[in-house]
Amino acid sequence: MPAICEVGSWGFGVTSEGLKGLKGKLGLGIGAGNVVRFEARGKRNVGQVLALERGGMRQHVNGKGDGSQGENLHQISTVGNSTNIKWHCCSVGKLDREGLLNQKGCVIWITGLSGSGKSTLACALSRELHSRGKLTYVLDGDNVRHGLNSDLTFKPEDRAENIRRIGEVAKLFSDAGIICIASLISPYRKDRAACRALLPEGDFIEVFLDVPIHVCEQRDPKGLYKLARAGKIRGFTGIDDAYEPPVSCEIVLKEEGREATPPRELAEQVISYLYEKGYLHAQ
Amino acid sequence: MSTVGNSTNIFWHECPVGKSERQKLLNQKGCVVWITGLSGSGKSTLACSINRELYSKGKLSYVLDGDNLRHGLNKDLGFKFEDRTENIRRVGEVAKLFADAGLICIASLISPYRKDRDACRALLPESFIEVFMNMPLEVCEARDAKGLYKLARAGKITGFTGIDDPYEPPLKCEIELGHKDGVCPTPVAMAGKLGAAIC
Repeated sequence: MPAICEVGSWGFGVTSEGLKGLKGKLGLGIGAGNVVRFEARGKRNVGQVLALERGGMRQHVNGKGDGSQGENLHQISTVGNSTNIKWHCCSVGKLDREGLLNQKGCVIWITGLSGSGKSTLACALSRELHSRGKLTYVLDGDNVRHGLNSDLTFKPEDRAENIRRIGEVAKLFSDAGIICIASLISPYRKDRAACRALLPEGDFIEVFLDVPIHVCEQRDPKGLYKLARAGKIRGFTGIDDAYEPPVSCEIVLKEEGREATPPRELAEQVISYLYEKGYLHAQ
Repeated sequence: MSTVGNSTNIFWHECPVGKSERQKLLNQKGCVVWITGLSGSGKSTLACSINRELYSKGKLSYVLDGDNLRHGLNKDLGFKFEDRTENIRRVGEVAKLFADAGLICIASLISPYRKDRDACRALLPESFIEVFMNMPLEVCEARDAKGLYKLARAGKITGFTGIDDPYEPPLKCEIELGHKDGVCPTPVAMAGKLGAAIC
C-alpha cells in the first residue's frame, strides 16, 4: 500500500519499493503551476517522477507526463489520444547523466524577430560552451523544419504545432542532460508559455533578443523583409503578423543601434547566467 | 534558400560545433539502437538494461520509449494506421537528432510495419542498429505485462498488434534476440551482447 503524505492540498504517493535502499537526500520543490518535483540524490537514483493523486485522478509530475524517465506506475493510464499506455522506468536518470557530463540539462529558448540574431547567438553559445567542455545541441526553427517538422507549414495552427514539438524535443534533450538551445521566432506568448510549462522550474531559460524591427529589416539577412514588403510573403512576423515580446523572461539582450554587439559578447551574458544558476556543473 | 516539404524560405544554418566535435567530447559515436518486437516481448526492459550497461561504461545514452513519448511529443496521436506511421516517423527524426548530438539513442517501440522502420533507417544509413526481439506471440501473451492481450482477446481493444493487426518482422536486421530452445536470455545478458556491439 502506498504511504500518503499531505502537502497542502496535494497528496503524493511513494511506494515502499521506491524508498527501499534509498540513501541521500529526498528533495521536494513546488514549482510554477503547482508542479511538484521530487529528486532523489544519492548512490542509487530511484527515479525522479512520482505519481500524484488528486481526487482519485493520477497526475504526472515534471511536465505532466512526458518522455523523461520516471517511476514505474503500475496503473495503466489514458493520455491524450492514446489508451493503454504504461509508464516505463529506467534506473539511469537525469542526475546520473548530468554527473557524467558535469553540467545540468536545461533549455535556452531564444526568441525574437527574424533577423534579430537568434541563430547567430545560438551558434556562438554552442561554440563557447563547447570550448568549456559542455555538451550542447541547437534546435533551430529552420533546421527542424527539414526533418521532424517537414510536414508543417507557416499557418497559425502549424506554427503552434511547430513550437509545441520543439518544446517537447527540447525537454527530452534537457532530460538527457544536454544544454539544449532552441532558436526560433516563436512569436506568440501562449506557445512559449506552454513550452515553459513542460520543464521543471528554472530549467527553461527564455532569452529575448530585443532588436527593433527597423534594425532587423536593415539587416534582412535572408531577404525576407523585402519579400514581405513586396507582398510576396504573407503573415510574416513583424510585417503582417504579430510578435508578442516576453513580459518577463530570464535574459533580455537589447540592441539599439545598427552596430550589432558581437555574438560572443551576447553569448557570454547567457553563460554568466548559466554559471550563476549552477548549470555548468553537476549537482 | 530552400523549399522543403510544406515550408518555403527556409535556410539551413551551419553551426561551428558539429557531430564530430561532440563525439570527441563524449568519446563515443552517436547512433540509434532501434528495438522492435511484439507488445510484451521485452523491448522496454532491454532498453533499460542497455542504458544501464552503457552508463556503467561511461557512455551517454538516452531511451526513447514508444509509450513514454506518447505522453509528450506524440500525445496527439492514436493507434490507427496513419498515426502509427506518424508516431514512428517522429521518433525516427528525434532519434536522428540525438544521434547527431553524439548520444547512443535507444528507441523502443513495437514499430510493426517494415516500411516505417526502413524509413527511419534511411534517415541514418550509417548508424542504425535494428534489434529484433523475436519472442513468440504465445510467450508475449503469457507474460501479458500490461494486461493488453487479455483486453484484445476480449475485443475491448481493436487493432492490437499480434492479435488483429500484423507485426512484420525484419527481413534483415543487425541483431536478433530471443528464444533459443525454449529459453529466453536475461535482459542483462542481452544488454551485454549489445553493449559490446555498440561500443
